[in-house]
Amino acid sequence: MKELFFRWLSGDMELLEDISDAAEIPDSSREDLKKQKKENRQKIQGTESVIRAEEKGFFAFYRVVSVMSCIVLIGVLLYTVANLPRYGEENPRTVEVVKRYIEHGVEETGAVNIVTGMILDYRAFDTLGESHVLFTALVCVLILLKLDKKTIRGGHLDSYYTIKEDRFFDISEDSVLRLVGTILVPCIILFGIYVLLNGQNGPGGGFSAGAILGAALIVFSLAFGFEAVDRVFSARVLSLTTFVSLAFYSLAKGYVFFTGANGLENHIPKGIPGNIFSGGLILPLNVAVGLVVACTMYGFFSLFKRGNIGGA
Amino acid sequence: MTAEWIVFFITALLLSAALFCYTLAVVGVYRFGFILNRMHAGGIGDSLGLLCVIAAVMTATGLKSDSLKLLLLIVFMWFTSPVSSHFLSQVEYYAGGELKLWK
Repeated sequence: MKELFFRWLSGDMELLEDISDAAEIPDSSREDLKKQKKENRQKIQGTESVIRAEEKGFFAFYRVVSVMSCIVLIGVLLYTVANLPRYGEENPRTVEVVKRYIEHGVEETGAVNIVTGMILDYRAFDTLGESHVLFTALVCVLILLKLDKKTIRGGHLDSYYTIKEDRFFDISEDSVLRLVGTILVPCIILFGIYVLLNGQNGPGGGFSAGAILGAALIVFSLAFGFEAVDRVFSARVLSLTTFVSLAFYSLAKGYVFFTGANGLENHIPKGIPGNIFSGGLILPLNVAVGLVVACTMYGFFSLFKRGNIGGA
Repeated sequence: MTAEWIVFFITALLLSAALFCYTLAVVGVYRFGFILNRMHAGGIGDSLGLLCVIAAVMTATGLKSDSLKLLLLIVFMWFTSPVSSHFLSQVEYYAGGELKLWK
């Protein structure tokens, strides 16, 4: 173990090389393995050249269209910039909104924290986009890094990856980390929930609380392994939580936009500013955003460490 | 009036002690030749330096409910920073004392 770790540090060995294989295979068959890897690599390059010949026409078309759309976009943006008011000029279009937020923010949104009232009430559409950006990022990392079943079984190309064991330096068995994790994780989760529920009355809110909750999950998975996290927060729970949060956000805010834009009666009470249940939709929206952020953070960590969400 | 001056001087004393600790930590982390010595130097800033800074803040603001939160901050930092030192030393142990240090 120590020798392998040192070999990896000195750059003698590839990071992704399977250590169980490397330890067992004698030198003569290692040569065979290298030859096989070389052949595989040549095979991939052969298919790549075929694909390149087929798609040459597409790439020429692609270049023309990308240049054209860039020129159009630059034109539109320059035209918009030319029509902006000068810097520092007293412009009713920009000053009015700020005054309105500061003077009527508390009574209109029901949130003492004006920033939260702004991002989750006046500009909730923007925050909806942000949480969808997080979701999209998670999906992209999932597409790029998730190991499929073929690779896991080792029948595909090289049997490079092992998923059952962390390579070289597994810290989840460490008794010091376990003790600290046992004491710290509940405290971190409690603090995260406090920040989450306190978003409309003080500093805090969905994004910071989500980061804290995600950190708690990461510490938990480091101390007790991904299998322990799977018992409460498996990949299925993660995807379900993300979906429910985003769907709830879209539906609830869509309702508010519809009734507000059409002058219909809105049945969501504002509450007394300063209470936990105040600000109408702000508290549930904060919870939704926090859950999405926590899921994204834990998903990133798990995918980068294991190539999968959770143990499995 | 004199009470305010006493509080001010205690705060200044504690803050300069903290600055001294952090200076020691920074110089030690960059100048020592062996990784465990560097960790020892970094630990001075993490433990004593943090204690001095937070004690200074507590004396400056007076005893309130906020002081309890600051105390919790010390507990959290003293609880977690030894764990990271523990893993650093474990890496050092696995590498057999031959980790290359940045100089």
